[in-house]
Amino acid sequence: MSDWMIELVDVTKRYGNIVANDHVTLRIRRGELMTLLGPSGCGKTTALRCITGQNIPDEGRVLIDGKDVTDVPTHRRELGMVFQNFALFPHMTVFENVEFPLMIRGMNKAERAAMVKDALKLVRLEGYEKHYPRQLSGGQQQRVGLARALVYRPKVLLLDEPLSNLDAKLREEMRFEIKDLQKRLGITAVYVTHDQEEALALSDRVAVMNKGCVQQVGTPAEIYDHPATKFVADFIGLSDFIPAKVVAVESERVVLDVQGERIAVPPVESVHVGLDVLLFIRPNDVRLRAAEGDRRPNEVAGTIAKSTYLGDKFDYRVDVQGVEIRVQTHGAERFENGQAVYVHLPYERCRIILESLICAAR
Amino acid sequence: MKTLRQYLKALLNAKKLLAYTFLLCFFLWVTTPFLMILLKSVGRNWFGKLWFPPELTLDWYTWAITVTNIPEVLRNTLVIAGIAVGISTLIAIPTGWALGRRRIPGKEAIMSTILLPRMIPPIAYALGVAQIFYRLHLIDTHIGVAIAHVAICAPYAILVLSSTFEGLDERVLEAASVCGANNLRTFFHITLPLVMPGILSSIIFTFTTSYNEFTLTLMTYGPKTITLPVRTYLAVGEGYWEVTSALSMILIIPSLFVLFMIQRQVQPEKLVGGFKGV
Repeated sequence: MSDWMIELVDVTKRYGNIVANDHVTLRIRRGELMTLLGPSGCGKTTALRCITGQNIPDEGRVLIDGKDVTDVPTHRRELGMVFQNFALFPHMTVFENVEFPLMIRGMNKAERAAMVKDALKLVRLEGYEKHYPRQLSGGQQQRVGLARALVYRPKVLLLDEPLSNLDAKLREEMRFEIKDLQKRLGITAVYVTHDQEEALALSDRVAVMNKGCVQQVGTPAEIYDHPATKFVADFIGLSDFIPAKVVAVESERVVLDVQGERIAVPPVESVHVGLDVLLFIRPNDVRLRAAEGDRRPNEVAGTIAKSTYLGDKFDYRVDVQGVEIRVQTHGAERFENGQAVYVHLPYERCRIILESLICAAR
Repeated sequence: MKTLRQYLKALLNAKKLLAYTFLLCFFLWVTTPFLMILLKSVGRNWFGKLWFPPELTLDWYTWAITVTNIPEVLRNTLVIAGIAVGISTLIAIPTGWALGRRRIPGKEAIMSTILLPRMIPPIAYALGVAQIFYRLHLIDTHIGVAIAHVAICAPYAILVLSSTFEGLDERVLEAASVCGANNLRTFFHITLPLVMPGILSSIIFTFTTSYNEFTLTLMTYGPKTITLPVRTYLAVGEGYWEVTSALSMILIIPSLFVLFMIQRQVQPEKLVGGFKGV
């Protein structure tokens, strides 16, 4: 038994001249919830449709549970899927909707009734058996969709932006419910979304996609703290990108030149002296203090160009010799526009991002 | 404040009154001719300025049924309507599917072409049809008259079915296949039940169109293919207004029946896409 439940191996899918998936390789572990995250048009839905069989890849293979299913039609892949628009059968009751996969599999009536009952209990929709989808709220309809996907205990649960048609409050509630269900059933799940918050909250691992390529695969913390590319950093949370040049490569640190100042950052592979890179840091990791006394290591001098009060924090734009650095502080200390400050870029929060790295398929 | 509320209330009442007046006018406008025919068909010695027939009788109906050979005329009408509905539906299902679900260049142009027979005056169209039918020996055959009817029945059917098929949600069909249903089972369990109301309403519309069609029948009928509308028209020519009225009433009955069927079968909430939240 292989560790991987789903494998996309070097999958390429084209629509005319558009390359929707460009040599995508993704491996999803048993019992894991993996999110495909990216802006619209990034290829995440295409990748999902390669798993369901609604897309046949032009190149590459698709494996489910170790078996090559590239040429297996959708209806024989034994999947459960939840759709963005719910895609319930409007002419069937809730019971009949959930029963449908069982009926197709030729189970007997008593067995079917018991399994439907279980599935509806799982999504807390008991008592709605005789309702039609149109008589239910959006959240209830999506629960029916979930019950229909889970009722025959498929190996894999696919979720295509299942919450984006729901309002914000319900979305958050359902998010935890889906996560909880997935863990309780121990089912492998692939979750497609463009909502980074949803991805971070739900996933065991996230695959960030852009322009048909997988940019990075990792746990939410890895993705957030160690973005592999500028795109990933930018897509998830707020980012500062500061142009810099490598001036020294040591075993403990890499020293960068930022506007003539020396900044030490944690070492990374594949950099050499003289290379142009981007120094990446989250605005809430940057520290500010009034420009008094000597500058300490990893501090640069700047002036406050713009300050915005955001309720729970302050948002500053600091001008450092023509380069703008965004800083968010929670501290009580306030800085005025035009004030001279020292901007501290803590060594352990700084990352080097190579601009050339675009497709980092793993 | 109070006066404003009263004013608004009065306005609302006025609006209601106006609406009901309009409704009543419309009702009278639609029903009065029918009422006249109904009275004419059961009245005797009803001439001049009398508002109501002096004597009531069912004689005209007996006359209409015996003299004008209603069973055969009715049979002709139904056979022709049946063939017309069959051919129209067979044409309209694939055409409607293509127009509703495929991306076709020049879709609007194709649609206008299909609707053309309904745009030009029926008599002009019928004349052309008759010219061709004489040469093809299709005059005075059930199939011939039915084919002539198809020209105006099929556009209706295509229009109704293409929008029915257009409303069919692709993702619902995809959901069925993810659930494990192959194409055949998806068709029978999902597609067919979802498009059935559309197909039924198309059948009903084409049936009534053919059943009531006059101009095209007039130019293509013969002694063996007299239909109810034509027979009614001929009775007018014969000068017996009372018999004509009785025939008209007989003509109305199936139409009313069909109307009843429409109300029962085509429930809006059963139509494709009739669910909220999406």
